Amino acid sequence: MNAEVIDLDLLDLAIGYSLILLTAALARLQGIGQEREMIWASLRMVFQLLAIGYVLHLVFAFSSAWPVMLVLLVMGAFSVQVLGGRIKRKIPDFYAVVGSAIFIGCGGVTFFFCLLIVGLEPWYDPRYMIPLSGMIIGNSMNGAALAAERLSAEMNERRDEIEAALCLGATARMASREAVRSAFRAALIPTTNTMAAMGLVFLPGMMTGQILSGTAPVLAVKYQIAIMFAITGSVAVTAFLILIQGYRRYFTPAHQLRDLR
Amino acid sequence: MPELRLEEVRKSRPGRDGLPVQILRGISLTAAAGQLTAIIGPSGGGKSTLVRLLNRLEDPDAGRILLDGQDLRLIDPLRLRQRVALTPQKPYMFEATVLENLQRVALYQGSAVPDPAAAGFREILSLCRLEAELLPRAARSLSLGQQQRVSLARALLTGPEALVLDEPTSALDRPTGDRLADTLREVCRRRRLTVLMVTHDLRLAERIADRLAFLADGQILEEGLTADLLARPQSEGLRRFLDTSSVPEIAEAQGDFDER
Repeated sequence: MNAEVIDLDLLDLAIGYSLILLTAALARLQGIGQEREMIWASLRMVFQLLAIGYVLHLVFAFSSAWPVMLVLLVMGAFSVQVLGGRIKRKIPDFYAVVGSAIFIGCGGVTFFFCLLIVGLEPWYDPRYMIPLSGMIIGNSMNGAALAAERLSAEMNERRDEIEAALCLGATARMASREAVRSAFRAALIPTTNTMAAMGLVFLPGMMTGQILSGTAPVLAVKYQIAIMFAITGSVAVTAFLILIQGYRRYFTPAHQLRDLR
Repeated sequence: MPELRLEEVRKSRPGRDGLPVQILRGISLTAAAGQLTAIIGPSGGGKSTLVRLLNRLEDPDAGRILLDGQDLRLIDPLRLRQRVALTPQKPYMFEATVLENLQRVALYQGSAVPDPAAAGFREILSLCRLEAELLPRAARSLSLGQQQRVSLARALLTGPEALVLDEPTSALDRPTGDRLADTLREVCRRRRLTVLMVTHDLRLAERIADRLAFLADGQILEEGLTADLLARPQSEGLRRFLDTSSVPEIAEAQGDFDER
């Protein structure tokens, strides 16, 4: 199927790079002083993508499950690290909570999707499993970030409410129910909005890519529909796991709200 | 009617520079069974920290608190908070009607939601002077005096043996505060509760407390029968406190919040 895709050689890429140079020139003309960063970023991108390309090339050539699993784990680890850098006010035990939630949520949904829905043969086929799990992890990261950030904000803002409930004999779980619910709601909103707007407002990347590489549009659409189901499920499971592990960490075993301000 | 006893209770908190600041420096005090004990003292003396230890919203760093001789830490915290009810200085109203605020107690304790017409429920309402017309109203739309009474009713609905009150009148003007004081006295007598109340409102303490303890700088400086302590203060600290907060000036009305 790759036969249909037109190859790009180095000269083509070099011609393409003129667009970056044009951007740098425009930046210079306007005196916004970002042309160095622009060039540097573009070079970084080129090398990072080439490196990934060769890694994937190797993984594809191995035809063994281990390298594929390793790539998935590394992607998951990077996503947790990126989240750690992005979120300022972290929930307690941030890395343990978010890491395990992404591992279970994204991992579980990736396997459910690849094995039960697509029915990969062999089960680890890297051509499918790596890009699909990449999309699942990438989208779940946003849900995870929203859940974790919102939980920490809610637990701080609702101290009076939570302690009022504890005083009336509520358990930690009951007292933080509203905080958890509102964080879960926040985590699900973007995915819901994306699903509702898909196809009308924008054409999703995976579908576009598949069409470019010669897949029939209707088949590409079916994949897109299925991956959206998977993404939604993964966002929900990941956020849910973060919240049910996260809220507990604001309390002592004696149902006391910790002072983490 | 249990006795609530504190033995050498200490508590520190992180200060501005992150170093611990001693808030309570060895408090020993007994709230006798069925009596109303008031802890008075200037603000910043550790009163609000103290109340949080009594239903284990927090634990002391050292020392023990005993409910009828039993260390609080040995009592299941959820059960403890039913036995010792605490009303915070600023009553927290859940964003719901007054009735739903009161019904939360049953929700949290997993018991049957009380019927607003049930005798026990109505008795608590009338004891706290909450008229039935208030029940369907949004709790946050009530006046502060009314909110204080909802908070008190909610605490009583947990079925407590002891009641801990943090500055019950601090947000109220004088007539409202006086009415709440009368309500409190009535509640304690009728329900036969052990009450420990923290306040800087001398007028309130004088009006309803059986015993007084004077707390300043994290220590109990004096303790005794209300009349004795007010008539014959022994410590310099209490004398100064009584002078500076002479009863008539306290909580002078800033308009009547109550009957809105």
